[in-house]
Amino acid sequence: MNAIEIKGLSKNFGAKQAVCALDMTVPMGAIYGFIGENGSGKSTTEKMICGLIPKSGGSIKIYGRDHTDKDVRAKMGVLIEAPGCFGGLSVFDNMMLQAANLSIPNAEREVIKTLKMVRMEGAAGNKYKNCSLGMKQRVGIAMALLGDPTLLVLDEPLNGLDADGMRIMREIFLDIVRDGRRTILVSSHLLGELQKVATHYGIIRHGKMICEMTAEQLDADCRTYVALQSAEMSRTKALLGCKYTRVEEDEAGYLRVYDQTTPEEVVTYLYKEGIPVTEIKTDKIGLEEYYIDLMKGGN
Amino acid sequence: MTNPLQFESPSFKKRIKGMLGVDFYRLFHTPMFYIFLFIAAIIPAMISAMTMMPSPDGGASTPLYSNLWQIIAASKSLYVIKTIADYANMNMVFIFGGIMVSVFIGHDYKSGYVKQLFTTHAKKQDYMISKSLVCAFAMACMCITYLIGGIVGGLFAGYDTSVNVLSLVVAVLGKMILSLGWASLYTFLNVIFRRYFGISIASSFFFGTGILIIGVAAIVEKLPIPTAILNIFLYGASVNANLSSGISALIVCIAVSLAWAFFYNFLGTKILSKSDVY
Repeated sequence: MNAIEIKGLSKNFGAKQAVCALDMTVPMGAIYGFIGENGSGKSTTEKMICGLIPKSGGSIKIYGRDHTDKDVRAKMGVLIEAPGCFGGLSVFDNMMLQAANLSIPNAEREVIKTLKMVRMEGAAGNKYKNCSLGMKQRVGIAMALLGDPTLLVLDEPLNGLDADGMRIMREIFLDIVRDGRRTILVSSHLLGELQKVATHYGIIRHGKMICEMTAEQLDADCRTYVALQSAEMSRTKALLGCKYTRVEEDEAGYLRVYDQTTPEEVVTYLYKEGIPVTEIKTDKIGLEEYYIDLMKGGN
Repeated sequence: MTNPLQFESPSFKKRIKGMLGVDFYRLFHTPMFYIFLFIAAIIPAMISAMTMMPSPDGGASTPLYSNLWQIIAASKSLYVIKTIADYANMNMVFIFGGIMVSVFIGHDYKSGYVKQLFTTHAKKQDYMISKSLVCAFAMACMCITYLIGGIVGGLFAGYDTSVNVLSLVVAVLGKMILSLGWASLYTFLNVIFRRYFGISIASSFFFGTGILIIGVAAIVEKLPIPTAILNIFLYGASVNANLSSGISALIVCIAVSLAWAFFYNFLGTKILSKSDVY
């Protein structure tokens, strides 16, 4: 059984079609990275899944049941835009309020357990408004985790986090799904970070799902390339351009050869042309580049 | 194959208990509630004290009221307001209450609380019921502080204190009971205008001041329409709770308050169920 199964989902805001015949499958136990540019329909789709906005057409099944089923909704946790905390109250009090809202038995014990899970047990007494952005995001995840939901919908939880905050968040995601009971649907613009944890991906554009894949499929689909640096980069680029069909310079100053080749072959060719190679390696494009290629209609 | 997932959601009783607990906790832990209680107390005290001050030209003061208890309620049913004194009584709590409800509910939307809530709680009626009850409680508390402020201010001003105690109790209780109807109306208005905080406050103020019903009353006064029809409106019923009232006025207040509470909660639930949550 899939955690989420969406068929032909659509949403119209007046004449504007925000989501159009979208199909989506999120397997149980997955960390599903939901990717798309601004205004592509990610948040609208997530809100429809959460029942926050009514759909115009199609179907949304959560654990095989209609998404409006109140029993199914009790299995969900959500962090969309803001966590719904009250600034003047402490993190602990905010959590206790959420626990009361959810009628959770042994609320105090559950709150402490959940705060530990998001590494916030030491800041439980802090007023929410005094928390850093990273802490606020973690509190948001903790709020979503209360009541032991098996499906978490997280909208851009990595936004604004520093490197350490990202690392902690990645660890939290992995902890959440560790026992295989829980599923996370997470949208983010930080594709490099998402790639470190996601097991599945869905890429949406103009309200349509343009592809869904597993991390393994992405790995297989991502092109390998030979990256090199030499003493004469401009001449090297010109020479490689004569022999290979796709040669590009990346942001780090490496020349990338995307054609089917090996470092040995490239070094040999340049050596014959009198250009010494100072550094050479093979690598694979990441999710970010894959996504950009896809958006450009590339292969 | 057995399904490892157990599906169960809390009963209505559990849900509403939890939600009321949260809303009451929030109410008691927010300075706004105490500020409004203070405003409700200070306004009648200030009005009564100021109206007893000598006029700037040194002439004698002209008291706004002839009796202390008119600060709390009108001496008889006044569907058409002719002076400030007719208006400046406990009915003002319904204006302060409207603004308080707008701030209280506005924060729910601003903070993202409703998104958390409506994802896990499929029943929108829980939200309407909880907000209406908690805001009604807050407004009833404001009625009490208004009563205290009015008495203190009135005594300082030296107003006559003679009163029919039964009518006074009916008037105060009637207005407190009507808080439920008013709170439900304001919750409904805030659900409609949830995206526009300014309009929420303005609409609450507009309804709270009773401009609509006063306007209607001013027109129908000249028409042969019985006041009983006006009494079915919140403001009409509120006017009915005055210093000449008997027990029947209390029954009118209870019936009107409950009717409007059901009506607005039903409408609010329908609107929430059909509309987007921002």
